[in-house]
This record gives sequence, C-alpha cells and structure tokens, in this order.
Amino acid sequence: MEKGEDEVNQGAILSPLREDFFLEEIRELTMTVFRSQRNFSTVLSSFCYNLETRLPGSNSQGCSRFISLRTVIENSLMSLKTAIFSVVLLTLYSLLITNAFSDDAPERIISLAPSTTEILFALGLGEKIVGVTSFCDYPVEAREKPKIGGMSNPSLETVLSLRPDIVVMTTDGNPKEFEMRLRSLNIKTYVFTARRIHELPAAIRDMGRVLGAEEPSRILSAEIEKAISRLGNSRQSDSRKKKVLFIVWPEPLIVAGPGTAIDDALNLLGVENIAGNAKTSYPKYSIEEVLYQSPDVIFIGKGMQANMRKVSRGLLHKLSLVPAVKNSSVFFVSDSLYRLGPRIITGIEELETCLK
Amino acid sequence: MPKIKIALLIALLFSVCIIALFLGPRGINPFDLSDIDRTIVFSIRLPRVLISLLMGMALGASGAVLQGILRNPLADPYILGISSGASLFAAFGIIMGFSFIGTFTIPVLAFTGAILTGVIVGIIGRKKGGIWPERLLLAGVGLSFLFSALLMLMLSLSSDEGLRRSVLWIFGDLSLSEWSRIPYGSVFILAGLILAMTRAKALNALILGDELAHSLGFSPHTERLVLFVSVGLMTAASVSLGGMIGFIGLLVPHIIRFFMGADSKVLIPAAALGGGALLCVADLVSRSILPPMELPAGIVTAIIGSPYFLYLLRRKNVLSI
Repeated sequence: MEKGEDEVNQGAILSPLREDFFLEEIRELTMTVFRSQRNFSTVLSSFCYNLETRLPGSNSQGCSRFISLRTVIENSLMSLKTAIFSVVLLTLYSLLITNAFSDDAPERIISLAPSTTEILFALGLGEKIVGVTSFCDYPVEAREKPKIGGMSNPSLETVLSLRPDIVVMTTDGNPKEFEMRLRSLNIKTYVFTARRIHELPAAIRDMGRVLGAEEPSRILSAEIEKAISRLGNSRQSDSRKKKVLFIVWPEPLIVAGPGTAIDDALNLLGVENIAGNAKTSYPKYSIEEVLYQSPDVIFIGKGMQANMRKVSRGLLHKLSLVPAVKNSSVFFVSDSLYRLGPRIITGIEELETCLK
Repeated sequence: MPKIKIALLIALLFSVCIIALFLGPRGINPFDLSDIDRTIVFSIRLPRVLISLLMGMALGASGAVLQGILRNPLADPYILGISSGASLFAAFGIIMGFSFIGTFTIPVLAFTGAILTGVIVGIIGRKKGGIWPERLLLAGVGLSFLFSALLMLMLSLSSDEGLRRSVLWIFGDLSLSEWSRIPYGSVFILAGLILAMTRAKALNALILGDELAHSLGFSPHTERLVLFVSVGLMTAASVSLGGMIGFIGLLVPHIIRFFMGADSKVLIPAAALGGGALLCVADLVSRSILPPMELPAGIVTAIIGSPYFLYLLRRKNVLSI
C-alpha cells in the first residue's frame, strides 16, 4: 500500500504541468504523509513493545516471535522512508509557497488606511484591492470596494474572509496589535511608515517594489520629489516669512500642528505655521493666541463642504482684528493635505496659489 | 453669620472673575489695553468668564437641590440622565455635521436632548399623582445607561475626527463661549435658580421626610415637581452651554455644607456662588497651563476639587448630609 503511495508521490512531482495544480497536489500529499507519520509512531511503540516483552520472554512462541520481529523491522523501515520523504516534501512545499509569495505580485490587496488606498489607486493597483476601510472615500472607485471597518478597529474576520494576499497598513492610525495578529495567522502585511512629506517618495517606491508596481511607483515618487525640490529652490526669494494658520475645524478651534503633512507643506512653501510649536499634531488651539500671533493668512480645510463657511463665521468674527481676516486672506481649501498620499502635490499647489 | 459668609463668597467670586479676565496664557495689563487686548478681554474672555459662572452656578445649585429632593448624598445633576441625553444629541449633531442654525446647532440639540430626557424621567418617576424620589433616581440611572450605550455605539462608528470633537464637547468645552449664547443661557439658569431659591423652605421640609413636610404645610409631590423642573432647566441650559463638567454638581454642595450647614436657604445660593467660582478658576487653569493648547475644563475641576474634598472629608466631623 505504501509503495503505491510513493509511486503517486513521484508521479506528481515529475509532472508539474500547472503550478496551481502542482501546489494543490503537494499539499494533499504532505497531508497524507503527515497521516502516515502518525502511523510511524504507532509502529515504533509496538516495536518497542515487541522488543521488551517478546524477545526476553519465553521461547514457546519462537516462530511467531521471529515473524513479528521481521514485520516490525519492515514496518519501521517503511515508516522511516515515509518520514524522510515527508521532510523532503515539506521543505519543497514551503519553498514553493515562499517563492509564490515573494516573486509574484499579490493579487488580492486589502488597504487599512485612506492614505494607502489613495496611493494604491495611484499606482494602478485599484483592480487588485479587495477591501478598504469605511473612511476610504477617494478616489470615487474606493467607495465601491468592500468595507472592513474603521482604521483603528478593522474587523479581523472580514479581513480573513476576503482572503488577501497582502494587507497594507500604516503606522499612522492602525493598531500594531492588528498587524501582529494578521502575521500570526500567516497573512502577509506591508506596513507603510512614512508620516512626513519628505519620507513619502521613498516609502512609495518601497511599496511599489513589494506590490509589483515598481514602474508606476517610480514615476509617482519622482513627481513628488520634483514638486518638493521646485519649492525648495523658489523658497529663498522670500524676504519676510508670512505667518500662517491652518484650521482643521473652527469650533472648537483645532489646527494643524507640528509633525503633520500640512505643517511640512507650509514649511516647504517658506511660510511660518504659527501652531508649529504646539505640543501635539492637531492641538485644540487658544483663540487668544491666534490674536496675539496675528497670522497673515488663514487656511480652512475641507472648505468645499457646504457648511464649513457657516461654521467658521463665528470664529472669523472673533478674529476680525487679525491681518488675515482684515485683508481677506482667509482661504477655504480642500482636504488634499490631510492624507499623506498622491494628492499632497495638489494640496501644496493649492496653498501656493492662495499665498501668491 | 450666613450673610457674612455669603458676602464673602460674592467677594471671592468677583475677584476670581477679575483675575480670570486679566490672567490667561498671557497676562493683560488692565490699565494699558491695546486693540488686541481689548478684543481678547471683551469678546473672548468676558463671555467665557460669564458662561463659566453661569454653568458653575447652575451645577452647584442643582446639585444641592437634587441631593435634597432625592435625599441622597451621591446625587448630582447628571444622575438623572439629563447630561447623557444632551451628550447623545450633541454628539449626533457633531458626527453628522449638522449646522442648520450655524453655531447654535449643537447647543440647541443638546438642550433639546436634555429637556426631552428630563421629561421622560419625570413621566417615569411619576406614579399615583406624584413624583417619587427613588423612582426618579432609578428612571434617571436606567435612561442614562441606555443613552450612554447609544452614545458609545455612535462614537465607535464615527470617524476619528468626529470622535475627537465629540469627546472634546462631552468633556466640557468653554472655548465656544460667545456673547450670543449668554442671553438664553442666563434666562433658563436664572429662572431655575430663582425657582429653587423661592422653594428653599419646602426643600428643607422635604429633607426631613414626606410626612413631616406634609405636616409643615407643604405638598411633597408638588414641591418635588417644582424643584425637579428647576433642576432640569438649570442642568439642561448648563450642559448645552459647554458640555459636561464633572465634580461641581456632586461635591460643591458638600463642601458648602461643611462650612455653612445644610439649611437650603443658604445652601442653594452658596453652592451656586461656589460652583461659579470653582468653574471660573478651573477654566482659567485649563486655558493657561499648556499654552497655546487648551484642556477640557471638566477635567481641571475634578483634579482641583477632588483632593480638596477628600481633605475636607478627613478633617471635618461630618457623618451624614
């Protein structure tokens, strides 16, 4: 019986017509070998039993003793063969698996953050995305994708049920524990670590390399680098730094502080973010302090939303002494800079036009 | 003697107001006001100080009244679920991004939620033609559990941004203070306060028990209803002005009792004055301690107040309310 099995094994290895089929076959065989390995231990224990009880026992059953010993040795030799074979098979299988993952680009991608979703779409991987968070709303196609929950509380079950080849996460909003759990379930993860504008191009290139979109990622990161260096060159011409405040929400007053892409963009544009020395990235800011700092320009994010102007009215009235309000340099801008992704360039250009 | 103490409290309150007006993240010299200083004092700090006074007064007084009518030292204005209702409505408005009446949207939503909850609690607490303290308390606790659960549900479903703004609102946010909020806030709070002060004698009688109150010539059920309405008005207006501020409603009445005794005629105005002064100081600290950032005032009241209360509890020989 065992011999026949061996033949089947060899046959399968010798005719790997299609890789998928091959993988499937090997997996099944490994399982069979696993099962016979269990037999091996049973046989081994019976072998020991025979040795201890039969051999030193009475000679009355000499013949049967001889037969049983032979069977035992034969059996154990066979099992040894299967064991060695199974080790070889397992190694082969794991090698094939790892090769399949590291060489081929993943076909089913889940993105756990709006920013990485945007980058994936920009890299032309939109077709391969099988799951996004409920906050992924850009580009429009992202809204059609299956939802796996929020950024901080994605549903593990939904992620698993979508059978991803890789899960793209970010250090800026996804819990570390979730990544560890995915990895313990043998799901591959890619963690996007960039948090600042100057880290973005390299991070996009790295992501493109892992996800099999090297060429598009080179183009995109080069575009971003070009925009950054262009701003870096034009910056020296400004003599006095304009003081700027970027308002994320007017009531209560929440502004963009240090460590945000918005702060980076303002620095690149050669203006001073008056909230740049706050202690957290999106501080609840003191209105008095805004009056004292008297910014020359005020940006209000998500200004395209219908109600933002209405909500800001009260705040701007309180700030009527500030130069930005006096000289009507209050600009309602888009939310392009809220996410560290491909729209960063548009966002910077938008601020640049307003500052001119 | 109580008159002197009340006068002292008024003086304290007044000086706290002056200090809060001219101190802050940056001190302002009252005798040399620049344009910006004037704007800060009159259109930012003054409404803020007034609103913190109003809220503190409402919470202190309604805590004193509620501990009386429920005859329970653990009662505070939020125990009746009024604040949970207000928070639920306000958070809903914040997360959905409602703004149909501009900056008034959230306060009006919160006020509606608070009054609605108050009415429901009142209806459930009513049986056999009167309001019963235990029923009221249990109805409030039950309802506030339900509303808190709904609030948590909403917060866990909301985006990070909506979540943060809702949480800031719920912790108590006085940075939204504007002159335009003072008229309606003061109408409801002063109405509630005056109502409570005129019924102070009845409250004294209620604390002694329904039978004694009855024999003293008060109708327990009517008095309780009137006092409950006054508490509802004050709490609802206070929550809608600036969110939930903890500690004041629960502990300021106790602190006042340590110093001035439990006579409601003195206790209600004194708790109002004490609550106002405390919230004013807490707000001053919350906006000055980490400039240019602001902390929620509700956290500061509890951090300042609780250790002081525990110290008093240890020092004074008080065994019950």
